[in-house]
Amino acid sequence: MKGNPLTMVPPLDRRRFLAITGGGIGALALSACAGPITSGAAPSPTTSTGTDWSKVTPAPEITFWSNHPGKSQDVETALINAYHKTQTETKVTLVTAGASYEEVAQKFQTAQQGGQLPHVVVFSDVWWFRYFLNDSIISLNDLLSHLKVDTADYVEGLYKDYEFNTKQWAVPYARSTPLFYYNKAMWAAAGLEDRAPKTWQEFATWAPKLKAANPSAQVAHMYSAASDYDSWTLQNKIWGEGGALSKDWTITCDAEPVVKVLQFTQDSVYKHKWAGVSAKDASADFAAGAAASFVGSTGSLVGVLKAAKFDVGVGFLPGGSQATDMVCPTGGAGLGIPKAITPEQQLAAAKFLAFLGLPENTAAFAAATGYMPVRKSSDMSAVYAKTPQAKIAVDQLSHTRSQDYARVFLPGGDREIGIASSDILTQQAKITDRLAKLKSTLTDIYTTDVKPKLR
Amino acid sequence: MALPNLVLIGAFTYRPLIMNIYYSTLNWTLGSATATVVGLGNYVRFFSSDAAGTVLTTTAVFAVATVGGSMVLGLLVALALNTNVPGTNVARAGVFAPYVLSGVGVGLVWLFIFDPVYGVLAYVLRRFGAESPRWFNDPTLSLVMVITVYVWKNLGYCAVVYLAGLQSLPADVMEAAALDGAGRLRRFGYMSLPLLGPTTFFLLITTILSSLQAFDLIRIMTPTSQGTRTLIYEAYVQGFGAYQRAGYSAAISVVLFVLLITLTIIQIAWVDRKVHYA
Repeated sequence: MKGNPLTMVPPLDRRRFLAITGGGIGALALSACAGPITSGAAPSPTTSTGTDWSKVTPAPEITFWSNHPGKSQDVETALINAYHKTQTETKVTLVTAGASYEEVAQKFQTAQQGGQLPHVVVFSDVWWFRYFLNDSIISLNDLLSHLKVDTADYVEGLYKDYEFNTKQWAVPYARSTPLFYYNKAMWAAAGLEDRAPKTWQEFATWAPKLKAANPSAQVAHMYSAASDYDSWTLQNKIWGEGGALSKDWTITCDAEPVVKVLQFTQDSVYKHKWAGVSAKDASADFAAGAAASFVGSTGSLVGVLKAAKFDVGVGFLPGGSQATDMVCPTGGAGLGIPKAITPEQQLAAAKFLAFLGLPENTAAFAAATGYMPVRKSSDMSAVYAKTPQAKIAVDQLSHTRSQDYARVFLPGGDREIGIASSDILTQQAKITDRLAKLKSTLTDIYTTDVKPKLR
Repeated sequence: MALPNLVLIGAFTYRPLIMNIYYSTLNWTLGSATATVVGLGNYVRFFSSDAAGTVLTTTAVFAVATVGGSMVLGLLVALALNTNVPGTNVARAGVFAPYVLSGVGVGLVWLFIFDPVYGVLAYVLRRFGAESPRWFNDPTLSLVMVITVYVWKNLGYCAVVYLAGLQSLPADVMEAAALDGAGRLRRFGYMSLPLLGPTTFFLLITTILSSLQAFDLIRIMTPTSQGTRTLIYEAYVQGFGAYQRAGYSAAISVVLFVLLITLTIIQIAWVDRKVHYA
């Protein structure tokens, strides 16, 4: 019997099977060509200009992606609970998006392709600019203005760290500077004044005394490992000698002051043997008494004070032979809002972001972590009474300087500088050769990955 | 009946493969909605960079050391386990156990063992008046550290497969050789080893493939990738690590894919001819 040719399904013979299979795989192959847009000019980074925020209703739910910098999960949860008490229109869910800034960044970048974007996300100092280049985030100017956020009350240097092309791309959150940490008992044993050295040259004269007086300590000073943001603190020494890793987009990491600094540092490890390079975590080495001093983030302050069984002194970062002021880099993380979410979610995110930045909330965050309050009007008296060392970090804030582009704006720049520094300090690589190679690498990154996207 | 399977394989194996090859022709930053077609530019960039030599050498050293180490030690362990002494069953389980453990967990535990300041190994060395090597700061030692742990984790697999091979050797032939006066070493070198050819061939293919794709241990134990820039780890670092170069990373992945295919073809076409099947 012959059936209706319009409704009858033909039998699946070998030829038909192969045709279907081939067609299916072909379709898959063609669909594989979907992905990023490859034709025409790339769109300019989006700003929030143009949205009438007064007509937008905040979304009922948003997520906050954080790596809980400075072990801040508890205080972040407390702040979210406090936010829920002040309003009922938006529920915030805290998401642990990684154990480090890098892991949060990796997840955020992947989410750009796969969806499930967060609404508020932690941006570290070396990552936010990539989001800007990728057109993944919105500028906050209009939203902050609409919400009447007193942006003038943010600490100016910290706020301007997220400014590019006259637009604001994030607001400060877990912001830090490096501090010079020292073991007061070891200082006293060496007959030194109870203060941080004014220059690295001065510390070089102290170091032999520290070693002689404290045989239990392996070294007078422990440098950070390459995996522990050592390129961040390296800038301090370079600036002290009048150099820089870069001047705007010109890479200067092979200039004479940088060579001089790395020679001094290498000599301190191999020639004079008063310094060492941490295997993993210099703050843990210091707290264990293996080093008389180290340079670490203010974000480590609370943790170091808890872990150390001795009196911990902190001071401004030492200067160098050319400069003793404005030689301390800012660092840490800010908060921003993705582009590819709805205006309702962006508005809800901005309201929460503004809440986190209130003076009392940034003070609470600073008290719990050791990070700096990001608002000028934050009342830190209770924190200073309990942890006087925290005041040093805040006092140092007016002596800080924004970081070199080579570290914070070049994708992978931080890593490349850290590895070069590690090669010099742990492998005794020839300094001029290694810095020339670093310059070539950083220049290549700028030429290939940044310059074509700058507008 | 095969159609659903073919569709699944097409969707989850061949489609990503084709997409990856396509992405390798783009200058594309992960997370960016736009990209530029660069043709073979990413391949040229990789092979003309200083990194290529380092990455390919590290990959070769890692593969040779881990495959060789796992197979040789696995064979020795299998020989030891192929005896009739008490406790061999427990020993077999003990030897195989690391193979089924999570690579991340194994990596974290061994990181603690190798820690030059607080680690168990450093403690033991200090008891003998020696200082711990700088496992985390010296790229060469980092590679040695990762190879050591990888071999420890995987030799149980080789041992179990070799043990099965040893137990399937023809007992009458081995007995005849012993009666003819062949000593243990001679029997092992001239009879057991050639008869284990198919087992060795199987292990060679599987361990080379898994060694070239080893990632978890390396990622956990050397987060900066100093000294351990194998092809697969370099692809990860370039694509998902600090650089976010999705196109460049895809090109490195294609290089790895071609390498794996080539090695497999060579093994099947050439090594297979040298194997004596019983």
